[in-house]
Amino acid sequence: MLSRPTRTTLAHTLRTLALFAAFSAGAAHADATLDRIHQRHKIVIGVILSGPPFGSLDPATQKPVGFNVDLANDVAKRLGVDVELTAVQPSNRVQFLQQGKVDALIANMEVTKERAEILSYPPTPFEEIGGALITRKDSGIKTWNDVRGKPVCVSQGSNYTKPLAEQYGAQVKAFRGQPESLLALRGNNCVAAVHVAPTLRLLVARNPDWKDYTIPVSNDLIPSPAVIWVRKGETDTQAALEKIVQDWHRSGWLIGTERRNSMQPSQAVLDLHAKYKAPGA
Amino acid sequence: MSAPAQALVDAIGKTGLNYSFVLAPDELASFLHGMLVTLELSLVTALGSLAAGVVLAAMLTSPRAALARPARVFVEVTRNTPTLVQLFCAFLVVNMLISEALRNLGGNPLTPFIWSAIVISLHKAAFHAEALRAGIEAVPRATLEAAQSLGYSRRQRLWEVQLPLALRFALPTLVNNMVDLVKMTTVASAIAVGDITYASIMIWTQRDNVLELMILILLFFGALTFAVNRAGQWLEIRLRMPGYGH
Amino acid sequence: MAIDTLSPPAPRERNRLVALASVVAVAGLLAWLEYGIAQGTNNPTLAALVTWAPALGKSLWVNIEISLLAIALGTLAGLLLGPLLLSPVWIVRVIARCYVQVFRNAPLLVLIYFSTYVFPFEIAIGRHTLPFSDWFKVTLGLALPASANFAEIFRGAIQSIPHAQWDAARSLAFSRTQVFRWIILPQCVKRMLPPWMNLYASITMATALASLVGVHDLLDTAQVASNTVARADFTVVVYFTVLGLFFAYCYPIARFTRRLEKRYAFS
Repeated sequence: MLSRPTRTTLAHTLRTLALFAAFSAGAAHADATLDRIHQRHKIVIGVILSGPPFGSLDPATQKPVGFNVDLANDVAKRLGVDVELTAVQPSNRVQFLQQGKVDALIANMEVTKERAEILSYPPTPFEEIGGALITRKDSGIKTWNDVRGKPVCVSQGSNYTKPLAEQYGAQVKAFRGQPESLLALRGNNCVAAVHVAPTLRLLVARNPDWKDYTIPVSNDLIPSPAVIWVRKGETDTQAALEKIVQDWHRSGWLIGTERRNSMQPSQAVLDLHAKYKAPGA
Repeated sequence: MSAPAQALVDAIGKTGLNYSFVLAPDELASFLHGMLVTLELSLVTALGSLAAGVVLAAMLTSPRAALARPARVFVEVTRNTPTLVQLFCAFLVVNMLISEALRNLGGNPLTPFIWSAIVISLHKAAFHAEALRAGIEAVPRATLEAAQSLGYSRRQRLWEVQLPLALRFALPTLVNNMVDLVKMTTVASAIAVGDITYASIMIWTQRDNVLELMILILLFFGALTFAVNRAGQWLEIRLRMPGYGH
Repeated sequence: MAIDTLSPPAPRERNRLVALASVVAVAGLLAWLEYGIAQGTNNPTLAALVTWAPALGKSLWVNIEISLLAIALGTLAGLLLGPLLLSPVWIVRVIARCYVQVFRNAPLLVLIYFSTYVFPFEIAIGRHTLPFSDWFKVTLGLALPASANFAEIFRGAIQSIPHAQWDAARSLAFSRTQVFRWIILPQCVKRMLPPWMNLYASITMATALASLVGVHDLLDTAQVASNTVARADFTVVVYFTVLGLFFAYCYPIARFTRRLEKRYAFS
């Protein structure tokens, strides 16, 4: 196709372009995020709007509502800045944070080893979330082991991909987001779908369209701490958010917000509330 | 394999490109499998679209309105709507309806791969059909009349006179369409067919090494389209008829 | 026995039939929608569709914007690149050909992922920052193959002008640039128009891929709507509405292109 000299020219050009891109991207991150937030008087937070209770669009006002949204609004209020909510997908949330498109992520992202390597987070979690499995009532899937060798739908970028593939031997099929994954489940392209438990529980409980579906397994997959994510090395932002999260637990605001969004606070959250409420904490 | 591979990855790593995913056996396997699936899908859709294109072209040039009109409507709708939207309509909507209907009869056997193959083949078939139709209509009338006077039926005329000449006339356009087809197989990644794009997405959402994977994908498709172009050129030379066209 | 005719129905009659059929189909669809709206709350699917219709219309405009900007940028770049492909300087020719090869052979989806995830989110020039919103990145991602394709179209048009015209013009003491500007280029414009419009149609359809990288375009809005309403029949209706909206935009362009092709066929 291309002669040797032109191929080398091409390789050099690509590398230069890549370095340029990396350099420009680096230049955008060089400012301390917290300074920029206060300077612009605005924080951009990425939230996931894949469905209640975490986030959805109110059809009447076309505005985002849900647990993630409430947390994001409160973070901004406590920092004394305006908030700009950006809807993200599991497939692009990490890129959006790395590129600087959002300053923080409140996007159903639990702590995993791989994520901790490339991003930072305030150590106190705001919830403990695990994965639930939704399947048809007559599919014959009763435990996590029943998915061995069968196709299971998840979102691209989900942290349930690894345990499902490695621990339970399932054939994982990842879609752009939770809505597409659930549609594929209804189209019989997988026997089950695995997403964050609170969303699936609400779906099965409330939505008449899903009356033939059930969550057969009572224990969740890898319940892990859900935290707010920031870019690696941003210690100021991390410390500011840590203070906010601890305050949420201390004042009990978090539990109240969960109840308002029809969520059942997990044992971990109740424990953290008790821990921070105790004098001297 | 790991020691020289590790050395290579480290050497490339000095330029700032992170290829460490090659050292993880499951990720490397899924990437290689992705390449294989892309090749499979390209081959299946190439043959499928040609077959469907010939049928559509025959219908388009038929004097019977009952064949020509639906074919024309199909060609217009398929050419003027995006492949991704067609794929979603087929996979997320039609597939769901079929599943509901077939639920008691043993379930829906159509996999995402089959749906991608069907949608992409039909989409490109519309373009092939237009090119072949132009080729069929370019056959000199004298040749057709001569064939008719020799007792060829309409079907024989189509199959033995018009199509071979139309194929040679439309070959450059068909080869261009095939190159487009190969590039179009990437949309299958949206419905979780494990092609090279999908495998790359799965890797970069965990490792954040988009640029490195992009380079590999671009090289792969560059090689593939080069091969298709070459095959087209070889075919053109083989099928050349002295005195006709070129 | 049926008459064994050699020719298909006359083209003009065929096009009129298709036009009539599509008008009848669209009118039927609108009538059904009107009936449904008149019925009011009896059909929740139609009510939901009416609620979401403005959002769908607005997001179709996002797709159209991306396509218009991408083709504009691509055409400008292609106009500069086309002559470079025929430059007498060897290295210039080679670089231009490389660019065209790379961006014509790369799948559009891969280029869109590339531009979204590799380009930075904003560029700092001195004290000012130039924001790159995600739809603009998709526009750039589409402008690249548009420019490569248009450069090829331009080159093809230039080369289709008979060489005799160049020779005649040179013999009349026109300089190379003058030949290009006054004789070749005006003729090229007419020849480039139909392939350029085909390019625009394919770019418009490629804008649907923007939904895969998070741009809030028509397809993404349809997915959000289908997820929020969470009814199976509404999902069916909204996806086919998206198909219909794209068709309603692209089909007139295709028809207009065909008219142009016929008009310029023998000029």
